[in-house]
Amino acid sequence: MSAEANGASNGAEALPERTFTMVVGALGGEGGGVLTSWIVAAAESLGFPCQSTSIPGVAQRTGATTYYIEIYPAHHDRLAGRSPTMALYATPGNMDVVVTSELMEAGRALELGWVTPDRTTLISSSHRVYSILEKSAMGDGRFEASDLIETANHLARRAILIDMDRLAQANGTVINAVILGVIAGSGEVPIPAEAFEKAIEKTGVAVSGNLRGFKAGFDYVRGDIPMPEEPPPVERGAPGDIGALLARLEESFPPETHRILRDGVRRAVDYQNLAYGARYLDNAGKILAADKANGGAERGFGLTVEGGRYLALWMTYEDIIRVAALKSRPERMERVRREVGAKAEEPVVVTEFLKPGYDEIASVLPPALGRALTRWKEKKSSRQKFHVAMRVKTNTVFGYVRLWGLAKLRFWRPYSYRFAEEWSEIETWLEALESAAGRSYELALEIAELPNLRKGYSDTHRRGVGNYRKVFEELARPAATATGDPAGAVTALNAARTAALADPEGDALRTVLVAPPAPPEENRAQAAE
Amino acid sequence: MERSFAKEVELLRRGDGEYFEGEGILAITKGLLQSGVSYVGGYQGAPVSHLMDVLTSDSKGLMAELGVHTEVCANEAAAAAMLAASINYPIRGAVTWKSTVGTNVAADALSNVASAGVVGGALIILGEDYGEGASIIQERTHAFAMKCSAWLMDPRPHHPRMVDLIEKGFELSEASHTPVMVEFRIRACHVTGRFATKDNKPGRFSTNDKLEKPVFDIGRIALPPATYEQEKKKVEERFPAAIDFIREHKLNEVFPGKYDDVGIVCLGGLYNSVIRGLQQLGLADVFGNSDIPILCLNVTYPLVDDEIAEFCATKRSVLIVEEGFPEYHEQAINALLRKADLNTEIVGKGVFPKAGEYQAEVMLRGLAGFIEGSVPKGIDLEPVSAVVAGLDKTKETAAEMLGKPVPKRPPGFCTGCPERPVFSAIKLVQREEDVGEVHISADIGCHTFAALPPFGLGNTVTGYGLGLASSAGVAPHFNGRTISIMGDGGFWHNGLSSGISGAAFNDHDSVLVIMANGYSSATGQQRLPSTTAGGSVPSDTVMPMERAIKGLGVKWVRKQYTYRVGKMKKLLHEALTTPEKGLKVIIAEAECQIAKQRRLRPLVRKALDAGNRVVRTRFGVDEDTCTGDHSCIRLSGCPSLTVKPNPDPLRKDPIAHVNNGCVGCGLCGEVADAAVLCPSFYRADIVQNPKGMDLFLDKWRKSVIGRLGGYANGAVANGSAAGGNGAAR
Repeated sequence: MSAEANGASNGAEALPERTFTMVVGALGGEGGGVLTSWIVAAAESLGFPCQSTSIPGVAQRTGATTYYIEIYPAHHDRLAGRSPTMALYATPGNMDVVVTSELMEAGRALELGWVTPDRTTLISSSHRVYSILEKSAMGDGRFEASDLIETANHLARRAILIDMDRLAQANGTVINAVILGVIAGSGEVPIPAEAFEKAIEKTGVAVSGNLRGFKAGFDYVRGDIPMPEEPPPVERGAPGDIGALLARLEESFPPETHRILRDGVRRAVDYQNLAYGARYLDNAGKILAADKANGGAERGFGLTVEGGRYLALWMTYEDIIRVAALKSRPERMERVRREVGAKAEEPVVVTEFLKPGYDEIASVLPPALGRALTRWKEKKSSRQKFHVAMRVKTNTVFGYVRLWGLAKLRFWRPYSYRFAEEWSEIETWLEALESAAGRSYELALEIAELPNLRKGYSDTHRRGVGNYRKVFEELARPAATATGDPAGAVTALNAARTAALADPEGDALRTVLVAPPAPPEENRAQAAE
Repeated sequence: MERSFAKEVELLRRGDGEYFEGEGILAITKGLLQSGVSYVGGYQGAPVSHLMDVLTSDSKGLMAELGVHTEVCANEAAAAAMLAASINYPIRGAVTWKSTVGTNVAADALSNVASAGVVGGALIILGEDYGEGASIIQERTHAFAMKCSAWLMDPRPHHPRMVDLIEKGFELSEASHTPVMVEFRIRACHVTGRFATKDNKPGRFSTNDKLEKPVFDIGRIALPPATYEQEKKKVEERFPAAIDFIREHKLNEVFPGKYDDVGIVCLGGLYNSVIRGLQQLGLADVFGNSDIPILCLNVTYPLVDDEIAEFCATKRSVLIVEEGFPEYHEQAINALLRKADLNTEIVGKGVFPKAGEYQAEVMLRGLAGFIEGSVPKGIDLEPVSAVVAGLDKTKETAAEMLGKPVPKRPPGFCTGCPERPVFSAIKLVQREEDVGEVHISADIGCHTFAALPPFGLGNTVTGYGLGLASSAGVAPHFNGRTISIMGDGGFWHNGLSSGISGAAFNDHDSVLVIMANGYSSATGQQRLPSTTAGGSVPSDTVMPMERAIKGLGVKWVRKQYTYRVGKMKKLLHEALTTPEKGLKVIIAEAECQIAKQRRLRPLVRKALDAGNRVVRTRFGVDEDTCTGDHSCIRLSGCPSLTVKPNPDPLRKDPIAHVNNGCVGCGLCGEVADAAVLCPSFYRADIVQNPKGMDLFLDKWRKSVIGRLGGYANGAVANGSAAGGNGAAR
């Protein structure tokens, strides 16, 4: 406090000229209220006039909540009966410390003008808690946070951005205790660490965990301990001897594409067999040829990278055989145990929720039978609702054997109805990709990304495939073979792809397909060709 | 209520020579006890729930000692009606609710009490939920005070002053024979502070010191001609008595300042914000000494005309600081200055916005606007303008650098909330061809959140407990049936009478879903007549809703455990399509997760410490099979069901992920199953403190599955070792 540093007069220390102000932006359910009460209790224990307020109101649970604290760092006894007038709101331009428990909330604090270079210390956890709007997008709706850190460093007198969530997890405690530790350790609050620790002890709830969290935050911000490492991901098993395929890959593909294609080969082999891996490379080779012929070298072979990515994902579409295989492999149980935080000696029973229906059954039948079943089903809509609910306990012997048996059906897959269907569409897509590359590289890239619409299972998958087909047939295929300026088609495809991922019901996509974003005159003529 | 308020009660016991340190609403509660209150009633609602929660938690302790009767009223009308005790008897009483919604409900009783007049002090503590974070429609209480001639106090948020004004409020009520409303804004209720306590005072009459005989006075009955006489009394006796009391006891405060050719008249509740604005503009010191004179109205109705005229007489320009529309005070002050033939310029709306809360920035800009416009004699305007310019610059820089607005973070249902599955089921049933989109008459409660993402369910909200009543006009105009929602809180508040009896009487053919989570959850998990609290309420004291509904003649009443999404969907489908006419009621039952966790957590901790076997359930998403389409999130919205970067290098979109907040309610698995979403969800039952049988079974399973290749060799070895240790124990 600069005011405190003004020195003494008449032997007594001068009183601070203003109150110390602090706002805590937390999310409902994170313990922001408890954090605030610790700070208030610590200030009161020193005899400082102090006030806090909050608006939990409708912001309960997951909504943003703010707690506002003011402290006058001078003992009651020195005030001769006077009391400082304190505010009930965080005021822009008037904040000493701004605390947020999550990075996007730090952005909100910056937006509100709470953080100013003359006096504000911004303390925020650098981890993200995604809002419902970010989470529910069909694709990637996450708020991009890189500008945020730059803004924080620019506008704050001091910005302390630390992954406090990881510190909390590593210490088996909750984030509010860690935040308190960071606040104390920052030295920006006129309260010594011991007063905070006493406040935690006095609360009497989960004291040891909270003290542990406090210490972790305190020590880390002071540079006394390193950030705890995240445990390395569970290794995925090698799919078999793919040395020869990888050698072929390295020999016939440019280095820029190796990383993605290597993953693609592994995935294809893991999915089916070595021959399937070879088939993957054959088809990737076709994309590469089109890529090379159209100046891909200058573009880092982006078309091969993106085309190779979606080719691999499409070739390894998720059928019940695949799901059973993924769920019954050894490293999976290890990952589950870790994810649910089971201790070494604690048995874990895992239950799967499987619900195959006609689609899933048809997909593994021979093509003629599968097609017949699908047609029969489509004639009566009520038949679409048929599903076999399977609750499989994977680590009981009976449950495991069921998944294990299903996974063993892999040999049969190439003779199945869905395999034939998928491959016929893959080939059409590849053709469109190749001919589009000749017209416009950007157009080909758009078409390469299109299979990302084919996501999910069951109804979601059916809608995704429907969206894919609509966009492919109405926009991609005609554009691939048209002539003239392709810019309109690229924009239209991009808009359709974004719209298809915007809402699951396809409302946005319908709007886009009915009225494509103002294509140039000539394009409209070509679309009619 | 699964909380303990022992610490709060301890604060209420403090007496002469001691200090209170705590929240505003508790300070107000203490103020009531220091004033010799005899009865306290109310209906819960933020921010005044705490008052009732604390007092009723200790009805057999401190309240019994002081002889204070506490009553958890069925609704605000019931609470206001309780003040009838003060009409005939010299008993001090206080009731509380959230305003303006609660005042709307209470209006009938309020008018009657105000008209009859009181002999015992009658106080109404209002939680004024206006502005940021408010959960209700935005109106001010002021109009209620004017129309029924009840007085309205708005104390400045300073603990000693708030407590003092509670006591003065009783005296004002008694001096003017009028009920007094005391409003506290939401932040003032939650504000922490300190004051010197006084001993609690037993009431003049109380449950320990009873009345001897009833008083009958026809003049206090709402019948003509008494009502005409009462109206006259309001104007001719009570109003002037109130004015005299307010003036004499200096309930309003004048703070002098050096720039005395201008001034500020502010409502008490806004005083601190005014001071902070002035401090920031360099026009007030840390102790609130202002350079500009301030008249702080701790009583906002009635206004003391000559007090205001006197303040304004010497000033060129005066700023009125009051929120909301219409600007009652600005109008009244303009009128009274005209009558007093004073030409002081009145500034208010114009530098301040007509709508919305005067939060810090609005206040700062409004004050700066007033000062720049009125230019107090001798002031240097430059520093004032610089503060506002600096604020503009900071916000501009932030907006420019961030590039785009930070996304909103709307609230939603809690992790594990039992109401969420019902809305998942409603979303799913609307996908059925013979149902389609359905009009939903929503209600007030946690379940109102269904209107927010990801559900977007609920076409109208018209008031607490009014979900079903609000469907009466719309349902007959649809081919299909409509769904109405009601919480169990709303049911007991008024839904049973205004909704269900009305629907039964008028032969409605629609569907009502009652969210029976066992508490009035949105206001802080207060218990209700039907609360079982997981079996901890004696069953002979529980009033089952089902019996009340059947008692009204409704035949189609079903109960369904909410988490079974598939069954809930089926039941909804049946209710919406059955040929059977009449009201169809689905009681969607499952305990509020917050209350449940609060009760269970300590028990689980105890069991674990004692070495007992405890199975912990958690859900998860298989990262290998999740394709990142987030359908599950759109059907659930659970805070612990979130996204994380895709570990698969080939996939770009984030995958779904269940974080450590999971309470194992099972909704994600249920939804995946009912909506036939995807096979990625799994349930993990973790056996803590496993016993011999668990370990034996685990070992056997691991060895068989291991032989089939389902476990890495290392894992089998670990498992065996752990099994050995366990067996030896």
